[in-house]
Amino acid sequence: MSESSSLKVLIADDTDTDRMILESIVKREGHQVVSVCNGVEAVNAYEQERPDIVLMDALMPILDGFGAARQIKALAGEELVPIIFLTSLNDTESLVKCLDAGGDDFLSKPYNRVILQAKIKAFSRMREMNITMQEQRDQIALHNSQLLKEQAVAKHVFDNIAHTGCLGASNVNYLLSPLAVFNGDIIVAAMRPSGNMLVLLGDFTGHGLPAAIGAMPLASIFYGMVQKGFSMIDILREINQKLKQILPIGVFCCATIVDMDFSGRQIKVWNGGLPDCYIYRKDSGQVDAVSSTHLPLGVLDDKEFRDDYQTFPMNHGDRFYMWSDGIIESRGPEGGMYGEDRLKAVFEGNQLPAEVFDEVLKDVQAYIGTDERDDDISMIELEMVPADSLEAQEQEFTKHNSTAGLIEWSLDLELKPSTCKIFDPLPLLLNILVEVPGLRRYSGELYTIMAELYSNTLEHGLLQLDSAWKSTAEGFTRYYTEREERLSKLQDGGISFQLSHQTSANGGRLIIVVQDTGQGFSRDENVDLDTQMFEHSGRGIPLVKSLCETLRYSNNGSRVEAVFSWQQ
Amino acid sequence: MGIQSHVSKDGKELTISIHGRFDFSAHQDFRNSYESVEAQPSLFKVDMNETTYLDSSALGMLLLLRDHAGGNSSHIEIVNCSPDVKKILTISNFEQLFSIQ
Amino acid sequence: MGDVVDTETLEMLKEVMEDDFPLLLQTFIDDALTRIPQLREQLDANNADELRRNAHSLKGSSGNVGAAGMTEICSRLESLANQSQLQEAGDIINAIEAEFGRVRSALNALL
Repeated sequence: MSESSSLKVLIADDTDTDRMILESIVKREGHQVVSVCNGVEAVNAYEQERPDIVLMDALMPILDGFGAARQIKALAGEELVPIIFLTSLNDTESLVKCLDAGGDDFLSKPYNRVILQAKIKAFSRMREMNITMQEQRDQIALHNSQLLKEQAVAKHVFDNIAHTGCLGASNVNYLLSPLAVFNGDIIVAAMRPSGNMLVLLGDFTGHGLPAAIGAMPLASIFYGMVQKGFSMIDILREINQKLKQILPIGVFCCATIVDMDFSGRQIKVWNGGLPDCYIYRKDSGQVDAVSSTHLPLGVLDDKEFRDDYQTFPMNHGDRFYMWSDGIIESRGPEGGMYGEDRLKAVFEGNQLPAEVFDEVLKDVQAYIGTDERDDDISMIELEMVPADSLEAQEQEFTKHNSTAGLIEWSLDLELKPSTCKIFDPLPLLLNILVEVPGLRRYSGELYTIMAELYSNTLEHGLLQLDSAWKSTAEGFTRYYTEREERLSKLQDGGISFQLSHQTSANGGRLIIVVQDTGQGFSRDENVDLDTQMFEHSGRGIPLVKSLCETLRYSNNGSRVEAVFSWQQ
Repeated sequence: MGIQSHVSKDGKELTISIHGRFDFSAHQDFRNSYESVEAQPSLFKVDMNETTYLDSSALGMLLLLRDHAGGNSSHIEIVNCSPDVKKILTISNFEQLFSIQ
Repeated sequence: MGDVVDTETLEMLKEVMEDDFPLLLQTFIDDALTRIPQLREQLDANNADELRRNAHSLKGSSGNVGAAGMTEICSRLESLANQSQLQEAGDIINAIEAEFGRVRSALNALL
C-alpha cells in the first residue's frame, strides 16, 4: 500500500475486545487509528482529528452511535466522511436506524478482516473521488465567476466601441438585451454626413464569447466608415471582408443593413440571412416584406460578395421593421415556434402604427407564456420622418476642433468612366475637406452639397437620366435600373472636380466646380439655366442652393459652380 | 436523434443522414461523419429526410463540411428537405453554395 | 474444549492480533469479570435497559473470542431484558457465570 493512501480511521466502540481487534486489522493495513469508547468521545475526536473514515458501534453508553453519527455528519458539512456501523443488530429496523443517522455501510460481528479491508478501500476511493469532484466543482465555479468578470470587461470594451450611436433618435424604437452581444446580436446605428441614417442589425452564429468576437470589428468598421461618409455598400463590403478574414469557417453574421434617406424619402435595404423585414405603410396599412437575398456576412470572399440592394420609396409615417430569428423562433409551452403567420397577424390587427412595436412584443410574450423576457429577441423599428425633425442629433465627429490643417489650397480631380463605375469619390473628397480647420463642423452640409452635385452631374449630365421618372413607383425602379445599365455601358467622357479654398478674416470660402463631358441639359436657351436645373433635378439642387452662397450653372448645364462661405 | 453516414460501394459518394434536431449538440457527430471516412468521396449528400429542425449553428456546420469538401470546388447536395428546413436554408441563401432539393 | 470456544475463530484471531493475541484474551477475561457482577447489580436494581446493554456488550466480546455457548446465553439475556421480562434473568446470569468459568479455563490453557 502506498503511503498516500494511508488513512486516519476513528474507531468508536465501548467493548475493549472489539476495539482491539479492529485496531489490529486497521493498523495492519497501514492506517492510523484513533480509538474511543463512546459517542461523545467520538464526536470530540472527530472535531480534533478529522479522520477519513469512522467505524462506529451502534450501542454505546452516554451517546449511542446513531446520535454520534448525526453530529459528525453535521460537522463534516459537504465533506464526505464515510461512517461504517459496527453491529451485531441485524433486524431491519436497526439497520434503517443506522442509515437514517447517516451511516454509509454496516459491518457485522464477528469481524471479518477481508471484508473490513475491502470496505475501507472502497470508501477511501469514494472519498478521493468526492474530494476531486469538489475541487473540480470549485474550479468550475471559479472559472465561471472569472468568465462573468471577463464578460463584463468585454462588454465594457464593446460598449465603448459600439456605444448607442443614434439609436436614441426620435424615429427609432428598438429592443436589445443588455447582454445581447453574448447572444450574438448586435445593433449599430449612425447618421451619415449626408443626414442619412445607417442602421445594421446582425445575428452572429453561436453564443458567448465566440459570438461576441465578430461584433467588435463590425462596430468599429461601421462607426469609423459611416462618419467618413462611405456608402452603405463600401461599409458592407469592408465588414464582410473583415469577418471573412477573422472568423473561423462556420461562424458568420446574418445581417440587414438599412440606409434611410430622409430628404429623398427612400430606403436602401440589403438583407443577408435575416428573416423578412417589413415596411408598414401608414396610409394603406399594407405590409411589404423585404426578404433575404444574400448569404450572411463573413461567408464569401470580397470578389464573390454580392452587394446589390433593394430601394423602396417611403412616405412620412411609414415604418421599417427588422428582427433576428429570436422572435419567429420563440418557443411556446408546447414546443411550437411563434412563426411568421402570428407576426403578420399582429400587423393586420393593428390600429395605431405607433403601437405595433409593443403589440408584437406583447404577442410574443403571451405566446411564450412566461413573465421572463426572452433575451434572444432583438428588434428595431425605424420611422420615415421629415429630415429637419432629426437635426437635434449631435454629431460626434463634428466636435473635433483642430487648428492645424489645410488653409489655402486647390485640387483638381478627374474621373474617367472606368472609375465612375466602381469608385465613390465622395469619402475621399470629404476627407480632404474636413482637413480644413473650421470646415469639419460643416461636414454634413458639405457632404450634401458634394453628393447632390456629383449625383446630378453623373445621372443627369453624363448618363442623361430624367428625374421626372422618380415621381411614380414604377418610374422609381426604372430610374435606378436605367442608371445601373447606362453606367455599365459608359465608355467615354468623365467628371471633374475643382476645389479651391481661401481664408477670409473670420472664416473662409470654398469654391466647388463640377463638370461633365455630356452635352448638358438645356433645351431652351431663353429660360435661364438655374430655373431649368430646378425643374430637371427634383429636390436636390434647391437644397444645395439653400446651403451655398451662390450656385451657378453654365455650358448648357454641364458645368456648375458652388460657393460655400463659412464663419469661425 | 443521431447522425449516420454511408459511403457508396465505389467510394465516390458519401451520404450523411441527420435524424431529429440538427443543432450544436450534433457538432461532433456531424464532423466525425465525414472526417472519419477513409474514402475520398467526390459527392456529398446531406439527407434531411428525418431532420425536424435546424438552427444557425447547423448552417455553420454545413459551411465546415463545404470547406472540408473543397470549398468552391465542392459538390454537396442537401436532399429531402422539409418545407421548414428548406425555409431556413433559403433565408440564408444557402442555395448559392449548396444544391438544395 | 471444542464445545466451549471455537478453534477456528481463535486461529483467525491469532493471525489478526499476532503478538497482541494473549493481551486480547486477557482483556476479554478482565472485561467479563467486571461485567458479570454488574449484570447482577442491574438485575437487583431492576434496570432492564442497562442490563440489556451490558448483556449486548458481553455477547459481542464473547463472540469475538469464539465462545459460542456464552454468546448464545448472553443473547437470550439481552432479548429478555429488551422485553423487560426479568423473572428468569437471575438463572440466566448464573448460567453465564458457569459458562464463563469453562471459557476462562479453556483460554487460560492458551495463555
